[in-house]
Amino acid sequence: MSTDLVLTYVGFFMMGAIALIGAVLAVSQRNILRAALGLIVSFIGVAGIYFVLEAEFVGVVQILIYVGAITILILFAIMLTRGLMQGTTSGHNSQWLAAALLAMLLFAALALVALGTNWNVAATRVSSDLIPKIGAELMTTYVLPFEAVSLLLLAALVGAIVIARE
Amino acid sequence: MSLSVPDLNLRIIAPVLIVAISALVVLLGELVTSSAQKRGLGYASLVGLLAAGGAAMGLWDAHAVAFREMVRADNFGVFLTLTILAGAVLCILLSFDFTRAHRIETGEYYALILFSVTGMLLMVTAADLIIIFLALELLSLPLYILAAFKREDERSLEAGLKYFLLGAFSSAFFLYGIALVYGATGTTNLARIAASAPSEMLLIGAGLLLVGFAFKVALVPFHWWTPDVYEGAPTTITAFMSVAVKAAAFGAFLRAFLVALPALAMDWRVVLAIIAVLTMTLGNVAALLQANIKRMLAYSSIAHAGYILIALVAMGGAGVSAALFYLLAYTLTNLGAFGAVIALGEGERERLNVSDYGGLARMQPLLAAMLTVFMLSLAGFPPFAGFVGKFLIFGAAVQNGWAWLAVVGVLNSLVSVYFYLRPVVAMYMSEPVEGWGAPRVAPLVALALVLALIGVIALGVFPAPAIALAAGGLGR
Amino acid sequence: MLTVNHLIFLSAILFSIGAVGVLVRRNPLIMFMSIELMLNAVNLAFVAFARYLQNLDGQVFVFLILTVAAAEVAVGLAIIVALFRQRETIDVDEASILKG
Repeated sequence: MSTDLVLTYVGFFMMGAIALIGAVLAVSQRNILRAALGLIVSFIGVAGIYFVLEAEFVGVVQILIYVGAITILILFAIMLTRGLMQGTTSGHNSQWLAAALLAMLLFAALALVALGTNWNVAATRVSSDLIPKIGAELMTTYVLPFEAVSLLLLAALVGAIVIARE
Repeated sequence: MSLSVPDLNLRIIAPVLIVAISALVVLLGELVTSSAQKRGLGYASLVGLLAAGGAAMGLWDAHAVAFREMVRADNFGVFLTLTILAGAVLCILLSFDFTRAHRIETGEYYALILFSVTGMLLMVTAADLIIIFLALELLSLPLYILAAFKREDERSLEAGLKYFLLGAFSSAFFLYGIALVYGATGTTNLARIAASAPSEMLLIGAGLLLVGFAFKVALVPFHWWTPDVYEGAPTTITAFMSVAVKAAAFGAFLRAFLVALPALAMDWRVVLAIIAVLTMTLGNVAALLQANIKRMLAYSSIAHAGYILIALVAMGGAGVSAALFYLLAYTLTNLGAFGAVIALGEGERERLNVSDYGGLARMQPLLAAMLTVFMLSLAGFPPFAGFVGKFLIFGAAVQNGWAWLAVVGVLNSLVSVYFYLRPVVAMYMSEPVEGWGAPRVAPLVALALVLALIGVIALGVFPAPAIALAAGGLGR
Repeated sequence: MLTVNHLIFLSAILFSIGAVGVLVRRNPLIMFMSIELMLNAVNLAFVAFARYLQNLDGQVFVFLILTVAAAEVAVGLAIIVALFRQRETIDVDEASILKG
């Protein structure tokens, strides 16, 4: 095994561990601010894996949008709704056992897929000039999804303003 | 780098485009109209929807693909497009006076409905999982907002929140399904998925897609959000959601499973049959127990999703055309029923309890007769649309060797007669309740009711033309 | 050696953790954050598959999903904030969200 591959392997496990720890914190913490911080850690871990996979652009965007924009918005919402949320954060659902069983089942199915399918090693990069190619794809093959998404954003922004304005 | 622009065949997505542009026009119109002129925006929406309907009719027998096979014009899509547009037109006709009475009359209300319709039309035209997903989001996000649109009413906001959380949750499952299908086949195009070899991963991916669709059309065990959301949302929006979302989601559901995963759909048939039985039975039994008419109609809509699922289990051409006819019949009937509830409202108060309907037959004989027709059609009595729809679906099931499923369906229809007739019995047999004046029906609401009534009776008495159109076929 | 199996396995764990969060927690904000975790798991799967399949489509989907996630955040948080405002004026301690 070349040093490159070893580094990839080690990097994956480190970043994967960070993503998992963050995720567990995000769903288990009673304090909602800590949960939000866990979410940020998890997002950063996943971004790290993108870098390990040489999908650098997606990794950068992940940090900018998920860590930068989405979690900040969530933090704002937490601050804006402090009174309401502190009272209810403790609430764990009474059907947690059923939920856990269901999730185990889901995980078993997904793990079956992950372990049962024989993929060859993911060693090679998708493409050397990734960013221009992604841009070109968005403007050619994916022009219709791209426009659909822009309409979606507009609808969401209008809707959010309508609901949240004073 | 040279960019090759894809086949920008705008004609194929013309209905989608027209509705999207109308949404933008209405949105801009909101800025330049005074509060007394908001009605005009409603009329503008109607014009846009009717124009889209005209464009959709022009696509009949077009049989074409565009945008690198991401959208497909076939008669299946055109039929559903027209069904959804009919639902949207009736909803907007019902909305004019309702929004004024409930103080939610704004341009955004109409614009969000149009955005949602854009998503629905895109969804029934989509030939690629990624477009189906984006269309699903485009139809859902405006509905989350619309469900919460009565901002001073906590129940409406809670309905919006609940709908949003569960909708986003189900989207995640749907997306994971797409990811697995993509991983298994290397594509998200429906036709190319069909051409690739089956695998375990594809099977599980299909299962996750099924979960996503099941949430949207409210199949058991993914139905529990429905009653709360339908009860809390403004009644016009509930009416719209209960029919149009079902038409769009079932359209994509049928297309995805019959075009992309025909072999897997065979494997899933027994599961789908069991889900259909549970959905019908639970919907009808729970509807029996409801005193609130919006909740009753919510459980009834769950039951109807179960009937439509029978058509999917039956598969084949007969199943598809039966499902399409049923969706059209259900759209007109259910909007009629909700329309009657809306027509009977008084300012911000609505007649939500079955007992509120006492004595209406004497005060409003015409309206009472209409509501009776809609309820009979929902229950599946001849000579109304609902009867023909059920007849076609159960017939398709028997033809394809699912006779027991048809029997369960018929038994369920019998149970449903009881709760559908409860408001009717109250109207004709009970004394009027105190505190309600004589209802005055606004002209536009009356127009919507008459249109729905004509549709329900015409589809029931002369079903042949609509059945022929519904058999137009699914392009592959 | 790092294979796609590792990546899908990790993505499956993340997705399941998110699903448990949605089902078990009753705070709408935490439920919402759990949904974001699930979307992240989906993105990870897409990037992994794109690499394995040697095509860019998976990465393009990630961009589309990111945008959808951003739109969902805007709508979801707007509803949560509006509900909070409404609650504040009526009764702060009353927290019956989603109990039905």
